[in-house]
Amino acid sequence: MIEARGVSRSYSDGEGGALRVLDAVDLLVQAGEFVAVVGRSGSGKSTLLHVVGGLDAQYQGEVTVAGQRLTGMNDAALSRFRNQQVAFVFQSFHLMPTLTVADNVALPAFFSAAPVNRTQGTLAALQRVGLADKKDRKPSQLSGGERQRVAIARALFTAPKVLLCDEPTGNLDAATGDAVIDVFRSLNREGLTILAVTHEERLRDAATRVLTLSKGKLS
Amino acid sequence: MRASEWAALVKLSLARDKRFAVSSAFGITVGVASLVFFVGLGLGIGKLLREKVFPVDARLVEVVPPKLALGGLLGGGTIDETTVKRLSELPGVAQAFRKMNVRVPAVSRYDGDFFGRPLRMGLEVLAVGVDPALVKGDLLLGDFKDPGPSQPIPAVAASRLLEIYNKSFAPARGLPNLTPQLVTGLMIPVEFNRSFVTSSPGGTVTASQLQLVGVSQRGLLAGVTIPLETAKRINRASGVDAETFTAVTLLAASPGDVPGIVSAVKGLGLQVDDEEQQLAQNAAAVVVLITAAMALLSGLICLLAAVNIAHALAFAVRARARDIGIMRAVGASQADIRNWVLGEAAALGLVGGVVGTMLAIGAAVGIDIWVTRALPPFPFKPETFFDWPAWLWGAGVLLGTVAAFLGAWGPGRQAARIDPAAALAG
Ligand SMILES: Nc1ncnc2c1ncn2[C@@H]1O[C@H](COP(=O)(O)OP(=O)(O)OP(=O)(O)O)[C@@H](O)[C@H]1O
Ligand SMILES: [Mg+2]
Repeated sequence: MIEARGVSRSYSDGEGGALRVLDAVDLLVQAGEFVAVVGRSGSGKSTLLHVVGGLDAQYQGEVTVAGQRLTGMNDAALSRFRNQQVAFVFQSFHLMPTLTVADNVALPAFFSAAPVNRTQGTLAALQRVGLADKKDRKPSQLSGGERQRVAIARALFTAPKVLLCDEPTGNLDAATGDAVIDVFRSLNREGLTILAVTHEERLRDAATRVLTLSKGKLS
Repeated sequence: MRASEWAALVKLSLARDKRFAVSSAFGITVGVASLVFFVGLGLGIGKLLREKVFPVDARLVEVVPPKLALGGLLGGGTIDETTVKRLSELPGVAQAFRKMNVRVPAVSRYDGDFFGRPLRMGLEVLAVGVDPALVKGDLLLGDFKDPGPSQPIPAVAASRLLEIYNKSFAPARGLPNLTPQLVTGLMIPVEFNRSFVTSSPGGTVTASQLQLVGVSQRGLLAGVTIPLETAKRINRASGVDAETFTAVTLLAASPGDVPGIVSAVKGLGLQVDDEEQQLAQNAAAVVVLITAAMALLSGLICLLAAVNIAHALAFAVRARARDIGIMRAVGASQADIRNWVLGEAAALGLVGGVVGTMLAIGAAVGIDIWVTRALPPFPFKPETFFDWPAWLWGAGVLLGTVAAFLGAWGPGRQAARIDPAAALAG
C-alpha cells in the first residue's frame, strides 16, 4: 500500500548548510497493516509522514502510495491524491475553530472532484466515532478527546485507503487517548491501512508492526 | 475545485469573518460611490446643457453673409435665391431653411388682461421670417404661412424665452407660469415701422397682431419667429430689402456631414455662425473636465481601496496560515487556495460596488429632492442634475470587483505558496 524507496529529505539549517532529516529511507507497508514509527523528537517522523501523504514534494527518492506514484506528480494531482487516497490525523487536531463539527468533517468535500453527499457522509463519519449528537457544536465546545475524534471523522469522510497519524494521542490524557486508540484499532480491523508516528507506548502496542526512525534511517 | 464548491467556500469564509468583510468592502464602497456619483452628475449637467440651456442640434449649420464686405469682391457677400440653391445642393445637406429678418423696427404695446392679471408693457420686437418647415414640428395651432395683410400673423416663440419668463420674469412680477399649450393662441399687438428707441423711420405705421402658434427650440431667442413670406411682405411694403436672406439654416443628413458642409460654405465666401455651438462646446468642455477630475479622484479612492484590500488580505492570509495548511492537507491545491482568496476579494468588491452604486444614486435622489423643495425656481432648473445610463451602473459594480480583485492578486499568490507541512507543524 505504501512503498517508499531511498527517500531523502534535507532542510537548510539556516547557516548555509543542509540538515539531512531522512537519509535514503525505505518503507514498505502492506494493505491492512497498522504500522507505528517511533523515534526521538526531531528524528524526522512528521517529515516522513508528510512525504508519504503527498504534503511535501521536496524529497529525493521514489514514493508510491495506493498504487499512485507520487514522485513527479504536479500540485493538482498531488492535491487530488490527498483528497481521495489518504487522510491525516494530527497531534493538535487541526480543526477549523470557526466551523461547526459537521462543517469540519465535510471540509474535504470542497476540494473533491466529484459531487459528494455532505449530510450523509458527515453523519456516517460522526457515527463511526460516536459524536453524531455533537455535529452542530464548535470545536471549542468539545473536549480534547472529542476534538480528535472529530478529526478522525474528517479523515474518514472521504473513505481513504491510508490513514496517516502524527502523534494522535500526544495531546490527550491516558483515558481519552485509549478511546482514540480503540477507534484506530477497530478501523484497522475493518481493513484500513494505518501509519502512525508516535512515542506513545500504548499506540505502539496497538500496532501490528513497529519501526524506529533514528539518524535519518528507518529500522 | 468545482465552481459551486468554490462559491460555497467563499461564502462560508466571509460569513465567519464579518468584521474583515465589512472593513474591506468599505473602501471599495466609498470609491465606487464617489465615482458613480460624480460621473452621474457630470453626465446629468452635460445633458442639461445640451438639451435645455444650449439645445444645439448637432445637425444644424447656420449660414450668414460674411461680416466684412470682402465677400463682395469674391462674388458672394449676400445670400440670394441662387446662393440658397447652391447651399441646398452641397453634399450632405438634407434641407435648407431660409431666414429673413423683418428689416424695419417694430414694437408691441400690451395693455390688458394677461392670464387673469392686468399687464401693461411696451417693448421692441425683433422678428425673423423662416421657412415654415423649420418649425413645423413644434406647431400647436393652425398653419404657419403668410395670412396676408390685416390678418393675425402666426408666430413661434423660443423655448428658452419661455423658460426665462417662467423662472425669472414671472415670479418677480407675480405673473403665472406658462406652458407652450397655455400661450398658444395668445394675441400680441404689434406695430411695424415704429420704434421706442430711435426716431421712427418714415413710412406708415402698420398695426397688426401676432398670434402665438407654438414654442420651438429653433425659435429666435430675443424675438418672434414668423413665416418667411410675411417677413418678405412687410419688408417689401416698407421699401427695404426683401430679396436677400439674413441667414440660411442647413440641416445635415447626419452630424458627421457637418464639418464638410462648414468648409464648403466657407468656400462659397459665406460664414458660419457657430456662436451657440461654441458656447455649448465651451460649457460642455468645462463639465467634462470637472467630471474627469472627479472621476480621477474617485479612481484614486478605488486604488487606495485596492491597496487597503491587499493589506487586509495579506494580513488575513498570514493569520490563516494554519487554516490554509489544513485545507491543503484535505486536498486543496495551490490554485484552489489562490482562487479562494481571489473569490473572497471579488465577492467583497462586488458587494462594495453594488452598495456604492446604490449609495451614489440614493445621494443623488436626495439632492434632487432637496433642490426641488428648497431652492427657488431659476431658469433651466432641472428635475434632476444626474443622468444614470445603464453602463454607469455596470461600470460601478465592475470597478469595485476589479479593484478588489487586483488588490487580492498578491495575497492570493502568497496564500498559494504557503508550505502546508510547515503551517501544520507550527
Ligand atoms: N520547515 C522546516 N525547515 C527547517 N527545518 C525543519 C523544518 N521542518 C522540520 N525541520 C527540522 O527537521 C527535523 C525533523 O523534524 P520533524 O518535525 O520531522 O521531527 P519529528 O520527529 O516529527 O519531531 P517531533 O516528535 O518533535 O514531532 C527537526 O530537526 C526540525 O527542526
Ligand atoms: Mg512531529
